[in-house]
Amino acid sequence: MVDANSDRIGEIIETESTRFVAESLTLHRPPELGSLVYVESDGVCLYGAVCYGTTASPDPGRRAVRRSTEGVYDEAIYREHPQLQHTLRTEFAARLVGWSTDERIRHYLPPQPPALHYSVRRCTQAQVIAFTEGLTYLRLLLNADEIAPEQLLAAHIRSAYGARGQDTDWLARAAREVASLFKSDYERLMTVLYGIEPAN
Amino acid sequence: MPLDIDKLYLQVQEMASAIPASAARAQLAEAQRRLRQADADKLRKKLDEREKGKPKIPWLVAEPVDTLSAILPAPPPPADFSVAAADGSTIPPDRHSEVRFYVINVGQTILTYGSSPGAVLGASGDLYHTEEELFFDAGNKHIPIEGRRLGIRMSVEEMDGLLDAGCKAPSPAIAICDGSLILWQLQSKDEDQDFCTHYLERFLHALGAFRNMGIPVVSYISYPGSGEVANSLRLLLCDDTNRRCQDCPQDTSDQRLCRYIGGLRDRHLFQGLLNPGERSDILISQSQILEKYGDHKIQFFYTDVGGEIARVEAPSWVMGDREMLDLVHSVIYDQCQRSSQYPPYPPALIEAHEQAVISTGERQMVENLVEQVLAAQGHDYVRSAKDRSKRSRGV
Repeated sequence: MVDANSDRIGEIIETESTRFVAESLTLHRPPELGSLVYVESDGVCLYGAVCYGTTASPDPGRRAVRRSTEGVYDEAIYREHPQLQHTLRTEFAARLVGWSTDERIRHYLPPQPPALHYSVRRCTQAQVIAFTEGLTYLRLLLNADEIAPEQLLAAHIRSAYGARGQDTDWLARAAREVASLFKSDYERLMTVLYGIEPAN
Repeated sequence: MPLDIDKLYLQVQEMASAIPASAARAQLAEAQRRLRQADADKLRKKLDEREKGKPKIPWLVAEPVDTLSAILPAPPPPADFSVAAADGSTIPPDRHSEVRFYVINVGQTILTYGSSPGAVLGASGDLYHTEEELFFDAGNKHIPIEGRRLGIRMSVEEMDGLLDAGCKAPSPAIAICDGSLILWQLQSKDEDQDFCTHYLERFLHALGAFRNMGIPVVSYISYPGSGEVANSLRLLLCDDTNRRCQDCPQDTSDQRLCRYIGGLRDRHLFQGLLNPGERSDILISQSQILEKYGDHKIQFFYTDVGGEIARVEAPSWVMGDREMLDLVHSVIYDQCQRSSQYPPYPPALIEAHEQAVISTGERQMVENLVEQVLAAQGHDYVRSAKDRSKRSRGV
């Protein structure tokens, strides 16, 4: 369970120079797609954008099977089969998008991947505002292979736009940055723009 | 590929065609009819007579506590209850290695149902390497703990693990393990009697602790292979005119039915006789080893768990207590209804097994760990040439 005094949401179980995978502390509740998370180690704060979430058995030999009956389904399944809370795991992956020491924020890959087993935390609103002031990191999300990069970009921009209190000036800046990334690919550009349209 | 699959294919076909088909169904129905009509008093009398000098019964028979034929439906389980389970797994001593050790890993589960559902899953593994651990009576008899003896030691460790889980399970609880509570392996005349006594005492001590805590302890046997009820039925059918089965002319229909039942397991007799949830009456096992079980003589019943006949064993103090027996019966059927597979199997045992099992990768990790630590301390780790030839196969 999540400690009430802590903002920890996961623990790193795979780490690379470009991404990390964490096990969520709560079943079925990975952080929102596109949201910003961070990991602290040795005085460095590494930022990642959540690019994937999944819930499954950690044992590749054990697949989830249907458990519902006529009267037992959805949440009731977990009451009737309490072992599921322990035999299922929710994991999420995040693409590294920058790092900071003291007050200085860098929008490029960190020199070291985050440490295995370290805690992943949800970024505060202040952290999101500070980090998303610069937008050059958006291009790092183009390398995502967990989901289509346009969908990840759109999810991240929607998430940051919300955290910034529907900052329309920022949204316009983000849209221009995306336009520069997809200047030679109209279809992909439109996929992102449709995805970040405030009315949607 | 030296195994000749084409030849085996023909033999598999022969084997399949030798399985009795529909012609045997009428005989099975007749056997089940006779079981429903079985006179328990007559059986007890016959058993008594055989005890007193008539030809000994050449097979293990089930003695009914009450009847041989009663069928009882599963009562509903309590609103709140829990199930403790344990299972074990080993890495046996490796005769191809210079260092001797074995590992026993016991998986434990506590599943709690009702108003505050919850689960506790865990495992406790130990590596045994001292002389006292590797050998029974190391200073004197020096009997190696391996093979069957390691299996017995694991059964005892499992029971201790089950007791540990049972202590923590919210009441009312049942404690369940996989397999039999009858340690028939200890019956072997070849086995050292002090070894048998030592491990049987530990096993019975755990059963005694369950009794003191008022927790019913049972074992669950899926697809049971025993034929004690079938044998009891044969004894009832026997007209006792022939001193030995070998001399029986098999002239009468009962004699022919007896021969047919001789090829059956108890699960065949109860399949179709019991409906899902129902159980047989309580039966007393006559395994020789149970003479040493004192107050914990093992009794059993068969139950249709919904797709399979299972055998449930428990000490007589569980089976003789109607409240405990009903709790066991209802919880086992409830467990099987919660199973995600068909035929069903109790989820508490599935999870205990998952905790206990030592995978091939983990076995390799233990071996690597031993090799690394020995090397770091300046010891050579040399394996046998035969083992090495199997690991790196040259052409």
